[in-house]
Amino acid sequence: MSADSPAARRPPAPYMNPYLAGIGLGLVLLASFVVMGRGLGASGAFTSACAVAIDAVAPAHAQGSSFWSEYLKGGVGHPLKEWLVFEVVGVLVGGFLSGLLAGRVRRTVEKGPRISTRGRFVFAFAGGVLMGIGAKLARGCTSGQALNGGALLSAGGWAFMMMVFAGGYGAAWMVRRQWL
Amino acid sequence: MSLPRFDRLSGNQKLALLAVALGLGALVIGAPQRGTITINERELAAMVEGEVDHVTPDELADWIVAGRQDFRLVDLRSAADYAEYHIPQAERLAITALADSNLARNEKIVLYSAEGIHSAQAWFLLKAKKFPAVYILLGGLKQWTDQVVFPESPAESASPAERIAFARSAERARTFGGAPRAASASLAASAATAGLSAAPTALPKVAPPAAPTPAAAAAKVKKEGC
Amino acid sequence: MNAPFFKFGLFGDEASLIVAFVIGIAFGFCLEQAGFGSAKKLTAQFYFRDMAVFRVMFTAIVTAMLGLFYLAAVGWVDLSLVYISPTYLWPQVVGGLLLGAGFVIGGYCPGTSVVAVATGKVDALVNIAGIVAGIFVIGEAWPSITGFAESSALGRLTLPEVFHLPPGLVVFLVVLMAIGGFWGAGVLERRFANRSPKENP
Repeated sequence: MSADSPAARRPPAPYMNPYLAGIGLGLVLLASFVVMGRGLGASGAFTSACAVAIDAVAPAHAQGSSFWSEYLKGGVGHPLKEWLVFEVVGVLVGGFLSGLLAGRVRRTVEKGPRISTRGRFVFAFAGGVLMGIGAKLARGCTSGQALNGGALLSAGGWAFMMMVFAGGYGAAWMVRRQWL
Repeated sequence: MSLPRFDRLSGNQKLALLAVALGLGALVIGAPQRGTITINERELAAMVEGEVDHVTPDELADWIVAGRQDFRLVDLRSAADYAEYHIPQAERLAITALADSNLARNEKIVLYSAEGIHSAQAWFLLKAKKFPAVYILLGGLKQWTDQVVFPESPAESASPAERIAFARSAERARTFGGAPRAASASLAASAATAGLSAAPTALPKVAPPAAPTPAAAAAKVKKEGC
Repeated sequence: MNAPFFKFGLFGDEASLIVAFVIGIAFGFCLEQAGFGSAKKLTAQFYFRDMAVFRVMFTAIVTAMLGLFYLAAVGWVDLSLVYISPTYLWPQVVGGLLLGAGFVIGGYCPGTSVVAVATGKVDALVNIAGIVAGIFVIGEAWPSITGFAESSALGRLTLPEVFHLPPGLVVFLVVLMAIGGFWGAGVLERRFANRSPKENP
C-alpha cells in the first residue's frame, strides 16, 4: 500500500481514549476467559511457526528436541492448527480493519527524526531477538503473560509485568536517538 | 449537593469512580469461590429419586470395554484393598482426600467403594461442591464382582434373549479375567474353577491403567500456554 | 451457567479455532484503536511522554479482573478451570527485563508487531523476523540452559496466596493502585511533555 493510495490520503483519525480502548481490551480478555477458559497470547504462535520451519528443514532434530516437539504436537494434527495461531491471524485482520476504518493504513517506517531507515531496521531486528528470548524464558509476552497473568493475579505474571517496565525504562536512554 | 458535582466529573473520572465502587464490592465479597458448601436439598433429593445418580456395573463394564476415556473412575477403599484388586482404569482416592484432589467440575466422575455406602457419601460431598456429573457405582465392588466378573448363568427356563445377553456378559467377564458361574455356585467355587487363588473373594490381578503417552500429555499442556 | 464453555464441552476443538480467530480480530481491533500499531506511540511510554501503554494495559487488567471476580462470585464461571500459567520466578524476571529492553529497542511487542504489520509498518516486519530469530536461538539453547530456564517453578501461584490475603482485598488494592498510577501518569506526562504523539498519529 503506497503513500498515494486512497487509504493513505484520508487524514488519520485520532486515537481512541486509552481508558476506553483498555476497557475494550479487558472485555475481549474476559470473553476469552469465559468462553475458552484461557487468555490471549502472541509469542506462542511465533514459536509454532518457528517449530514448523525447523521441522521442515531438520525433522529429526525438531522432533527430538523437547523444546520444539511440544509445538509439533507429536504428529497428531497440524502444528499450525493451534489456538494461538488462529488468534494471531485474527489480530492481523482486526488490526487492519481498525486501521482501515481510521485511515491509518500506510506503508511506512516508524522512526524518530535522528535515525536512518537502515539504523531503524537494525534496532528493530535486535530488539526482536531480545524479545523472542525474553518471551520464551517468561513463558509469554505482554499479551499472554502480562495481560492474562495480571488479570488472574498470577504472581509470575505480575513479577514479569513489573520487569518489563523496568527493562524498558532501563534501556530507553540508550536508544533515545531512535525515537526522539 | 453531591449530584451537580457528579455531573461535572469528566468521563474518565466517572469510570474511575465505578472501578473503585466495584473494587469495594470485591472487598466486601472477599473470596469468589469459598470453601463452605451450599446444598439445594430438593434438587439432590430429586436426583436420588430419579435414579440419575448412579451407573450400573453393566454400564461401567461396557464403557471400559469400549475404551472410553472421558470419565474418571475413583476407588474409595483402602490402599491395601486397591492393590489387591481394583476395576481397570480406577484411581484410588480416600474420602478425606476428595477436598484437595484434582477432580475438576468439567469431568464425569464415577465413584465406587466396597458395597456402595462410602461412594454414596462421597457423591453427596461432591454434589454439594457443585460438581455436575458425579455417579455412584450401584452396589459397589460387590455387585461388580457378582454381575460383571462372575456373572450368573441363566436358569433353565431362561428365554433365548436372556441366553444371548448372558453369552455377551460371559464373553465380557473373560476380558476382565473372570468367568461365568452356575446359578447356584458360590463365589469361592467360581474363583477356584477360574483357576484363581484360594481366597474367598479373590479377583484377577489387574494391570495398572496405562498412563497417557508423554506426547499426548505434553500436547494437552502446550495447548493452553501463550 | 457452566463456564468456561469450552472446558464444559459446549463446543469442540474445531469450533475453538474459529473462536480464536474472532477473539483475535477483536484483540487486534482494540490494540490498533489504542494506537498500538505505532512504534512511536508505544515507545513514548518509556520517555514519559505518552503513558497510553500503561493506561491501556492496566485498564484492561482491571476490567478483566473485576469481571472474572464477579462472574465467579455469582457462580457463573468456575475459576478453577481457567488456565493460569505456572510461575517460574527467576526466568520470568530475567525474561521480563529482556522483553522490556527489546520492546523499547525494537519498538513493538509480539502482539503489537502484528497489528503494525497489518497497518503497513515495514519496521514491524523486521521486528517480527527478529522475534522469530530470538525464539530460534533460545529454542536451540534451551537444553543447555534448562537448569535456569526451569528453575524456581512455583506452579500456579496467585498474589492472594503469596500475601495470604483474601482475593477481594487484593482486587481492591489493584484497583486503587491502577487509579493512583493513572493519576501519576498524567503528572509525569505533563512534566515531560515536548512533542508527544499523543492524540494523533
